[in-house]
Amino acid sequence: MQHTNIFTRIQVAAPPNPSMPIPNAEGRTRGARLSRLVGWFGNAQLGPIYLGTLGLASAICFVIAFEIIGLNMLASVDWSPTEFVRQLPWLALEPPPPSGGLSIPALNQGGWWLMAGFFLSASILLWWWRTFRRAKALGMGTHVAWGFASAIWLYLVLGFIRPILMGSWGEAVPFGIFPHLDWTAAFSIRYGNLFYNPFHCLSIVFLYGSTLLFAMHGATVLAVSHLGGEREVSQVVDRGTAAERSALFWRWTMGFNATFESIHRWAWWFAVLCPLTGGIGILLSGTAVDNWYQWAQKHDFAPSYPAVYQTAEDPLISGVPTVRAPDPAAIAEPTPAAPVAVEPAPAPVAPVEQTPAPTEIAAPPVAGGIEATPEGPDANAPDAKAEDAKADAAETPEGKADAKAEDAKPAADAKPAADAKPAADAKPAADAKPDDDAKLDDSKSEAKAADAKEGQQ
Amino acid sequence: MALLSFERRYRVRGGTLVGGDLFDFWFGPFYVGFFGVTTIFFAVVGTALLLWGAALGPTWNPWLINIAPPPIEYGLGFAPLREGGIWQLVTVCALGAFFSWALRQAEIARKLGMGYHIAFAYGVAVFAYFTLVVIRPVMLGAWGHAFPYGIFSHLDWVSNVGYQYLHFHYNPAHMIAVSFFFTTTLALALHGGLILSATNPQKGETVKGAEYEDTFFRDHIGYSIGALGIHRLGLLLALSAGFFSAVCIIISGPYWTKGWPEWWGWWLNLPIWS
Amino acid sequence: MSGLKQTALGMVAFFILLMVVFWFEPTRTTQLGFDGVGMQVTDTVERMEDRAAGNVPPPALPLTKSGDLSVNAYKNVQVLGHLSTGEFVGMMNSITAWVSPQQGCAYCHVDGDLASDALYTKVVSRRMLQMTMHINEDLKSHVKETGVTCWTCHRGEPVPRYIWHEEAPQDVLAASLGYNAEQNRFNGDNGTSLPRTAFEQFLLGDTSIRVQTNTALPGENHSSIKQTEWTYSLMMHFSRSLGVNCTYCHNSRAWENWSESPATRATAWHGIRMVRHLNNEWLAPLTDVFPPNRLGPNGDGPKLNCATCHQGAYKPLMGKSMLPDFPPLARAMPQPPRTAPAAPAPASPAAGGP
Repeated sequence: MQHTNIFTRIQVAAPPNPSMPIPNAEGRTRGARLSRLVGWFGNAQLGPIYLGTLGLASAICFVIAFEIIGLNMLASVDWSPTEFVRQLPWLALEPPPPSGGLSIPALNQGGWWLMAGFFLSASILLWWWRTFRRAKALGMGTHVAWGFASAIWLYLVLGFIRPILMGSWGEAVPFGIFPHLDWTAAFSIRYGNLFYNPFHCLSIVFLYGSTLLFAMHGATVLAVSHLGGEREVSQVVDRGTAAERSALFWRWTMGFNATFESIHRWAWWFAVLCPLTGGIGILLSGTAVDNWYQWAQKHDFAPSYPAVYQTAEDPLISGVPTVRAPDPAAIAEPTPAAPVAVEPAPAPVAPVEQTPAPTEIAAPPVAGGIEATPEGPDANAPDAKAEDAKADAAETPEGKADAKAEDAKPAADAKPAADAKPAADAKPAADAKPDDDAKLDDSKSEAKAADAKEGQQ
Repeated sequence: MALLSFERRYRVRGGTLVGGDLFDFWFGPFYVGFFGVTTIFFAVVGTALLLWGAALGPTWNPWLINIAPPPIEYGLGFAPLREGGIWQLVTVCALGAFFSWALRQAEIARKLGMGYHIAFAYGVAVFAYFTLVVIRPVMLGAWGHAFPYGIFSHLDWVSNVGYQYLHFHYNPAHMIAVSFFFTTTLALALHGGLILSATNPQKGETVKGAEYEDTFFRDHIGYSIGALGIHRLGLLLALSAGFFSAVCIIISGPYWTKGWPEWWGWWLNLPIWS
Repeated sequence: MSGLKQTALGMVAFFILLMVVFWFEPTRTTQLGFDGVGMQVTDTVERMEDRAAGNVPPPALPLTKSGDLSVNAYKNVQVLGHLSTGEFVGMMNSITAWVSPQQGCAYCHVDGDLASDALYTKVVSRRMLQMTMHINEDLKSHVKETGVTCWTCHRGEPVPRYIWHEEAPQDVLAASLGYNAEQNRFNGDNGTSLPRTAFEQFLLGDTSIRVQTNTALPGENHSSIKQTEWTYSLMMHFSRSLGVNCTYCHNSRAWENWSESPATRATAWHGIRMVRHLNNEWLAPLTDVFPPNRLGPNGDGPKLNCATCHQGAYKPLMGKSMLPDFPPLARAMPQPPRTAPAAPAPASPAAGGP
């Protein structure tokens, strides 16, 4: 434990290190302080920081965006601070509905989102410029800025470039914690499984690869830190035993090694390629490819599996049963069709049925080796009778539990059956909650409470 | 080819973990050692089994080859070779090779007078794999809960297992793991970029040292974690990503079988809200 | 190592042990798809046993054929008039046991005048009786031969536990901030921040659920990501209502692909149509019959979704059919003319009784 160098065991309290000269040094704050807590892990020195126009502008833009998002979230819970904190992970500032296309939406129907997006983008781009300028001022390379640019690329693809190509702001990501996760999941579903998107694959490879590389690199440097291995630039220009041992470790382990400089090239490229390829993958979804799984099938990289369950048939193709309309005379005072306040569809265009309308199309042969003989509209519907035993078993998620339930039932039955009164019979069964976790929709069945009251009258 | 200019000084015998000097030699750039032999053994056998499994299957298309685990009904028992038995043997070989590799890393580190950080870090990755193919299947009672060996078939597993919990993004450990992955990549870009920008300064400038690295980040964000700190941070972030990945899947099933969005009910129902 | 560190490490180790040992719940899994692709349903043994025990039909009261035709024996019998009085009383007692065991007959009938339609509950229950027959007779594409009874939804409660009302619309123009697009708040149905109006879209309206394209390249499908979120929200409702997961009806790698979907998906497809049909044709027309306390924020009546019948089970009552014990519920029968000497009350459709 003593030599792992995971924490700084002895901290030296010394005057703060001076910053290196830059042309505009008066932009820096004066003074720095030492934090013992931070010093356990990294440098103890906090500050100074360079305050410049770009940084200030970036910060202001960020605060504006942050405020717009936060106040909209707060408003969406009727300005209740408690509910704001309670529901914070669920809240979001949502982009405009897709029906608006790329027009400037009403302020409270995506307008705020557009504005927040503008200020956040401005903040990020100004910060990029600052990153670039700080490196320039010190005479250093601008590698950090270009790495940052790769992340900005992904951000702009998600919120700006792709929505423009798709012709709707509604395609963009909402600002919110869970909502952006919902968006991500929906994106994968909409475009037919992002796992089959080769650029998504590459992005994940670089994400995991970056993590692998940083683990390898961080561990290697710490493992030679007793030899001064963390002074990497010195080791690059004046190789010491730390660099030599690090190189030999990997050479002996896997037959290949990077150098103290080249490992940082590997690192930079892996990290940069992660959002770069990811952005490409997002950009192609919906613009060039609409269903990645179908695309994978087309290009023969989606595995196929033996058919082990009876597959379904699209009832839209195999036939829709017509349902008898109720006899209106049976209702007390036949009411005119109540005006049902259905919200308009969330989509800009009428949702497209991808399968032909129910006509007398003969059912096509079903993949998966199940023979279907269309005889009528209902014949193809997987009827309980038609299912063979295997399919039935497959349909039973709790097949084994079923058997148990059968066993348990007589006992359960015995008790109420002993009672003669029907009302008493139903009571115990009614008490047995159908499922402890089926507590669905509590908010919407408040009528229940009123009911008990009424029952007593 | 086999030797770097400075390598001869380091190629000295001794310092092995086991086996004395029996396997204490080099093969080309590779150090062999006892664990090199076991690694080769498990890797060769495992690869041969994978090839055999592929030969039994319908395709040699590398994207499509699939070596499936046994069906659930076999529980934690042995399965016939063609019904997951190959998968079981491959898993044994993989674990053998991975453990050998970790010990080999420890041995080489010892020979070079280095810390054991790399072997430990690698161990976390092996732990994540072990969680997926051993711990979780054992807790759920069947080897069939492990993922299949195939480039896209394992993604089908990821997809379906994710949707068993209706919306896997709501898994709190998954959130943490993903955050660590992203943060690691961000930190790696910053670190790699910083070292490159110091060693490759602008035209006419000399190479910049640590004082410039620190100054850049102090100017930029007000704090520079420092040369040692960034490697501690990077290692910590990377290992946390792997660790929480293992946690996020181990809790899915043995500790939670419903949809992950429902899990957050505890937060909404905290007594502090009323 | 200092004592403090040791104590801290010990506490962490103890907590982990606690979690590993005490939070672990034995599970049982049913494999649905091919080995290793993760199409399976896993649940805790405890919950499965609870579910099996909680989804047992109540003991059936015998319906004995005895006495006159009820259309003649009683006044204002419109639906079950073809039954003998023995069967009729058996049915009435069963319905009381299923729907209002605590409130008794008086929940629907005016005390002392059983024929009266003065209580709205009587009008509704007659309609629901007809609806039950309609489901069992005409909607077998979803309910198969198992069918439903009053118990399927009511389970001893006058108002079924799982019903829904329309979401009150958000007036975005009146408010200057806080547009939530009918989502981005806690969704009480599935716990996400997905849209809360999926029922309105799909179980009342007939918005298309299908958002994926079944070809690789873009074509005529312009479904948006938001639309996908609506579909996802509804699908999560399915899963939760049935106590299953997405792979019960889909191979998640290709949602739209029918040739990779288990046969259960077609049953669910018919279920959507059934619920939509019942909500629009059977429940919506009853809106004016309900008193205000039964209506939602938009003045709409109670409506069905999957949970109304399924209540957490993949098949309501675990697939146990109650119809063999209650054949009158299996189909609507033509009502014999009243032949009793007593003149029937003016039989306006407004004044009906079962």
